[in-house]
Amino acid sequence: MGAARARGGRPVIAVLAVLPVVLATVLIGVRGVVAMRSSSDFLVASRRVSPLLNSAAVSGEYLSAASFLGVAGLVVKDGIGALWYPVGFTAGYIAMLVLVAAPMRRSGALTVPDFAEARLASSALRKLSAVVVLVIGFLYLVPQFRTAGLVLSVVSGAPYWVGVVLSGVVVSTTLALGGMRAATYVQAFQFCLKLVLFIVPAIWLLTAVGPAARHEAVNPVPYTVFERDTPVDFRVGALLNVPTDIALTDGTVLPAGEQTIAPGTRMVFPAGAQVPQVDGKRPPGGPEWQRPLLDLQGAGHAVLGTLAVLIATMLGTMGLPHVIVRFHTSPDGRSARRTAAMTVALLGAFYLFPGVYGVLGRVAVPQLYLSGTTDTVVVALPGAVDTGPAGTLFTALLTAGAFAACFATSLGLLLVVAGALSHDLAPGTLRQLRVTVFGAAGVVVLLALPAIGLDAGVLVTWGFTVAASTFCPLLVLGIWWSRLTRTGALAGVVVGLVASSAAIAVTLFAPPVGGWPAILVAQPAPWSVPLAFLTMVAVSLRGQPPAWSTAAMLRLHLPIR
Amino acid sequence: MVKRRVAVMSPQTRLAHARQSRWAGRRPAVTWQRPQLDPAAAERAVIFYHRQRSRAITALVLLFALLFGLPLVLAALPGLDTVRLFGIPLSWLMLAVLPYPAMVVLARWQLHRAEAVERLPKRAETVEWVRPGRAEVDR
Repeated sequence: MGAARARGGRPVIAVLAVLPVVLATVLIGVRGVVAMRSSSDFLVASRRVSPLLNSAAVSGEYLSAASFLGVAGLVVKDGIGALWYPVGFTAGYIAMLVLVAAPMRRSGALTVPDFAEARLASSALRKLSAVVVLVIGFLYLVPQFRTAGLVLSVVSGAPYWVGVVLSGVVVSTTLALGGMRAATYVQAFQFCLKLVLFIVPAIWLLTAVGPAARHEAVNPVPYTVFERDTPVDFRVGALLNVPTDIALTDGTVLPAGEQTIAPGTRMVFPAGAQVPQVDGKRPPGGPEWQRPLLDLQGAGHAVLGTLAVLIATMLGTMGLPHVIVRFHTSPDGRSARRTAAMTVALLGAFYLFPGVYGVLGRVAVPQLYLSGTTDTVVVALPGAVDTGPAGTLFTALLTAGAFAACFATSLGLLLVVAGALSHDLAPGTLRQLRVTVFGAAGVVVLLALPAIGLDAGVLVTWGFTVAASTFCPLLVLGIWWSRLTRTGALAGVVVGLVASSAAIAVTLFAPPVGGWPAILVAQPAPWSVPLAFLTMVAVSLRGQPPAWSTAAMLRLHLPIR
Repeated sequence: MVKRRVAVMSPQTRLAHARQSRWAGRRPAVTWQRPQLDPAAAERAVIFYHRQRSRAITALVLLFALLFGLPLVLAALPGLDTVRLFGIPLSWLMLAVLPYPAMVVLARWQLHRAEAVERLPKRAETVEWVRPGRAEVDR
């Protein structure tokens, strides 16, 4: 393995990797313009998409930066237990298949807010659902753009904002030109692209690291001593706990004690020096790291933490507005259900590999945990394993995949955000929908610029949490319980939205909490989802559903031949 | 898959357009059409609803048992961390590999059951119409 290698001087890789993805995305977008006439064309591709194409598109859309980069990064940082995230991400499609896919498609509504109005005839609920779509959309879009910026700055040395702005421009242009029709083909294409760009480099890495590293990967030891001269770029500020004075290679001394490192600092730690501890985190590779359970916030309640994440990701999937809108591109309920089932298999194939990047990354680039940018582990690995042309090639391939991941997910999300704004909150024309796309992208870029320090996996899981606490009860009860009333649905969605967003706000802005309450604040799904369900049921039971309520529900279960 | 190009507009979209023109100054009566089911369709829908619901509950119980049971097993048996398969800790494999084929099998199984329900009533109706007494004899 190479010693300290120069960083920040390889824009060629970035151009080679990102340009083809950008061009392909925009070209397919332009091609989609040809046959687009109505608002329905724009939003759901006129509903002529086959289950296989559609499930590839669903997976392509779903495999975001959080899956492509975030999971492996969380493995390096938090341990093997982080692999529960993709288990929950996949399980969501079984819940979808069982509970919502076919009936939701038969409802004939275009979006979740549409469904709310179709089932309960409440325009207040429609507006509220549109607001929830915006919250989920922004929670999910920000980490996509943020990760694009981070990856581009790692591989090319470009400033962080370049990648963020680039994604905003490419995604909004593609969407405004092509709409959902374009998105279906772009995303099916991008699923294949991502699968190949993720699996092939993983196999190459496994052979290229050599037997010693492979052995170390499955027999981890705590990361306490630098094995070689190690450069660390602190793109995000950090609070380090330095055990003893460290003489850095440039002659300066990092004194013992708590040190606040300013963003933008670059340090080269000498071989043999003790690794500083990152504030409040255990070093990767320790006994806790090796446990296959997710100890959120280091609270010491691993089973509770694991279940909290599983509940959020599994139940959140069925409420993700950009995924639900995909099921409407199926011609009928039956193929919507088939789409969900095939998606489980496609995602399962992909999610076998983040763990490979995670365990290899802990061996080859554990220093990323010092700077808090473990999200870049996937693209940092090839360069650390092989300094020759092969390493460069695979860095370029993985960068391309990462950008494909950001773009595909952002396309679908931006579409539902624009849809919620100009279809539900202020109904308008196709032109207005296109303008909204640019406006929404601009807002996301502005939000992503200060968000560089937030893990993609964590932010995205919050999006899932909000979805699980609002749309999941709305859809499940709307489809399976005829007693649901408007007031009940409204109350439940409000309670779920307030509870989940308040917990997220507390985690982001308030002083940290300790013990098991820390888990329930950082990951509120275990209480916010049941709370939303209970509110909906309790309030509904106090009221009287309209006479047509049963017909409105039964209609969703009647297959049309 | 439908090959013909169909213009689709949901009742909600029509409603939205109507609402928009109302905001533009005109005020057409926006009437929400209550969902209607003729009695025969409603009867069929009730059958579908009940059968799908019972199958959905079984599938969900299995899914929850798999997902919530696995962390409990891993927490209860820390010894699995030291058992190794191809040099990899068994507990890692149980998390990183095992759930995916299990979920694919569960999804396929549930898909077939759900589709079987939608084929069933046709046959059931035929049996009732042609030979009403047969079912009773069988029971």
